[in-house]
Amino acid sequence: MATAPTSEAAPPRPSRLNPWVLGAGLAVVVPLLAVLVMNLGRDPHSIRSPLVGRPAPAFSLAPVGGGAPVSLDSLRGRPAVINFWATWCVPCFEEHAALAAAARTFDDVQFLGVVYEDEEPRTQEFLAQRGSSYPALMDPEGRTAIAFGVFGVPETFFIDARGQIVDKYVGPLNRGTIAALIARAKGGSP
Amino acid sequence: MIPTLGRTLILLALLAASGGALVGFATGARPTRAGWLWTRRLAYAFAGFMVLANLVMEYALLTHDFSVSYVAHVGSRSVPTWVSLVSLWSSLEGSILFWGLVMGAYVVVATWQNRDKHPEYMPYAVGVWLLCGAFFSFLLAGPAQPFATVASPPMDGPGPNALLQNHYLMVIHPPFLYSGYVGMTIPFGLACAALLVGRLGPDFIRPLRNFLLLPWIFLTVAIVLGGWWAYEVLGWGGYWAWDPVENASFLPWLTATAALHSALLVERKGVLKAWTVTLVIGTYLLTILGTFMTRSGVFNSVHSFTQSAIGPTILVFLAAALIFAVVLLTLRVDMLAPEGRLETGPSRDVLFLVQNLLFVLFTFTVLLGTVFPLVVEAARGVQMSVGRPYFDRMSVPIGVCLLFVMGVGPALPWGRATGQQLRSALLPPLVGAAALAILGLALGVRNAWTMLALFFGGFTAYVTISELLLPVRQRMRSHGEGFLEAFGQARRRGQRRFGAYIAHAGALIAIVAVAVSSTMGSSKEVQLRQGESTALGAYSVTFVDAERVSEPHRESTLARVDVSKNGRPVGSLYPRMNQYESQREPIGTPAVRTSLTEDLYLSIHNIDPHSRTVGLLVMVNPMVGWIWIATAIIALGGLVALMPPWRGARVTVTERAPVGAASPEGSS
Repeated sequence: MATAPTSEAAPPRPSRLNPWVLGAGLAVVVPLLAVLVMNLGRDPHSIRSPLVGRPAPAFSLAPVGGGAPVSLDSLRGRPAVINFWATWCVPCFEEHAALAAAARTFDDVQFLGVVYEDEEPRTQEFLAQRGSSYPALMDPEGRTAIAFGVFGVPETFFIDARGQIVDKYVGPLNRGTIAALIARAKGGSP
Repeated sequence: MIPTLGRTLILLALLAASGGALVGFATGARPTRAGWLWTRRLAYAFAGFMVLANLVMEYALLTHDFSVSYVAHVGSRSVPTWVSLVSLWSSLEGSILFWGLVMGAYVVVATWQNRDKHPEYMPYAVGVWLLCGAFFSFLLAGPAQPFATVASPPMDGPGPNALLQNHYLMVIHPPFLYSGYVGMTIPFGLACAALLVGRLGPDFIRPLRNFLLLPWIFLTVAIVLGGWWAYEVLGWGGYWAWDPVENASFLPWLTATAALHSALLVERKGVLKAWTVTLVIGTYLLTILGTFMTRSGVFNSVHSFTQSAIGPTILVFLAAALIFAVVLLTLRVDMLAPEGRLETGPSRDVLFLVQNLLFVLFTFTVLLGTVFPLVVEAARGVQMSVGRPYFDRMSVPIGVCLLFVMGVGPALPWGRATGQQLRSALLPPLVGAAALAILGLALGVRNAWTMLALFFGGFTAYVTISELLLPVRQRMRSHGEGFLEAFGQARRRGQRRFGAYIAHAGALIAIVAVAVSSTMGSSKEVQLRQGESTALGAYSVTFVDAERVSEPHRESTLARVDVSKNGRPVGSLYPRMNQYESQREPIGTPAVRTSLTEDLYLSIHNIDPHSRTVGLLVMVNPMVGWIWIATAIIALGGLVALMPPWRGARVTVTERAPVGAASPEGSS
């Protein structure tokens, strides 16, 4: 249609900086960006668990592959890390190696995995393939997960030597975070 | 194999997009035939690679290839095939891939349509589109990779988000939303091109307006589909909660609607060019802000994806786009000189301006309410939310004002109106206003705002209908045609105008329906044992039985509830609770009995098949069905306005009489 150079009314005016537009633009853009940047690290889903600072809910669960049940009381006296996970959860694969390594490094801390909504044979197969260095407990009907208020996996609770929950972490852990949160769980013990 | 193929296609798309953007900008600065040819070729190549990448992903999803990370994330052997098919947009990485597909489609259509038009603008426009395309390709190549290789693939996956499987609306809502969001890239590119060239001519405002209208239709439908989904699935009986993600889709809609109107003034009078360009650019920036809000995990919402690592990347893009926009506007806005003058005094021109300012005020109000909790948390470390009261208090008056403007604006003539014209334009519609207000009063409306909405709604309805019929009457009088023939002719000749008033009719129905449904409903919560009944309004509901249904991917508990209205049985409703594999919380599906006047809404809070009790939320929601109908009308209006004019005949009707002429309205 209009392939020919346009025949529009006014010849273009020279480009010049419009201070009003600049001021108005910056007045909107700068505060908006500042607020967004400041909130970037925030996780709105981690509404602070009401359990933090309280004693961990009691449980007694049988480990995968059989054996004596593990109870909360048997953990007293040393800090514990309780990780809720499942074989169908991709982030759980991601953190598995870090947790297994940390369990070997921190031998004064008891690591426990609680299997969330999964079947024992699949869990055994998973652990056989990927190795494990701490007990995985079956949680039939998810009672322990409910008691801990688990919403989705992975979720990990850090418990001090007195059995108080010090921290709850939602999402896959890495080595650095595990070490930092264990330090807090230890610091909380007398 | 598949992961490698997918990654290769993504990289090729990234390459085509970034290359095309470079060539486009270079060609814009120094136009050559070859440059424009290659810009287009690279745009088509980008689209082609994106389409192929999407096909590869669909293939992987349908064949349950768990070596593809996205499939391992959302795939499952136990879900029906259609769920596998739509899993493409059920989670973050796939939805961005799908985004690329939509982007590709838009770029192809917009480039093809303008391949030999607007030679000075188009290379810049394609350059901007491909720059945006390059960013999303980059996301797919790195931070949100859907085609990562899973070294030891699992045997089966968890299946997509249960909410997606729970209702068909969740299947069609995302494609509409993406078509709305992504489509805003096209007018953004055109607006940037106008600024880069330093001119916005009358021939270029048309593609700008049309490519704004198309995604606007999608966005309108998407927003309402989202509300409909919330209504049909979430079970709290409402359709809108001012949730951050809902706001994220509403914000660009507001600015886009404003821009559609101001574009008309650019076209008619050559004024408000810079303002329109700013609105269009703002619309795109708000879609990116919305993307950030949905994908970064910064905002908590029932609609948002879980937290992901792409937040910072999107924020960087948003910052870059914002700065680019501010700089571009600062340097070039003065070059878009107005060619005409805006009338002052009571006229349609001024009402257009008022309408635009109201929309922008609305935008800032919603934006402030959405971002404010973040400000408070950053400053004081307290979690808070700006609740519905703020939004309701602010949006109700703005909505009523918009309804008022939608009535008065089209009633007024262009240019300055005389006192006589004002009277003949504004007095007759008061009949409509009074009629609807009296009807409302008779039906028990007592809320002042609802009354006001009905009053202005009646006014606007009168004006809208008479404006729709104005050209028909003119033809009947001047050509001696019968009503139907005149109607057809008038529609054909004044298609855009016709479409606009259809959209207005839809909008006014929607506003009235929202006002009535949010103030005139009633509800109660009851615990019923088997055989027990409860009454609400004209309805009586009886809990008959609970039963369990097993499907491969979910277990459901249904409550059979018999409904009678005014003592006469009208059938049974089956609200249900669904328990999905791999999801702890059950998801309810309310049962809704929709009629033109009101909905009966039943939602289960808890149900125990053993003790045979059910906790039931019973609601009677008046006029909700009209919101969905109104949206269809708005979309229809948009489509009518968008359709190419018949046989190239673009004859505008004699608009509401020019100054001095007798107003045809006086005779009605």
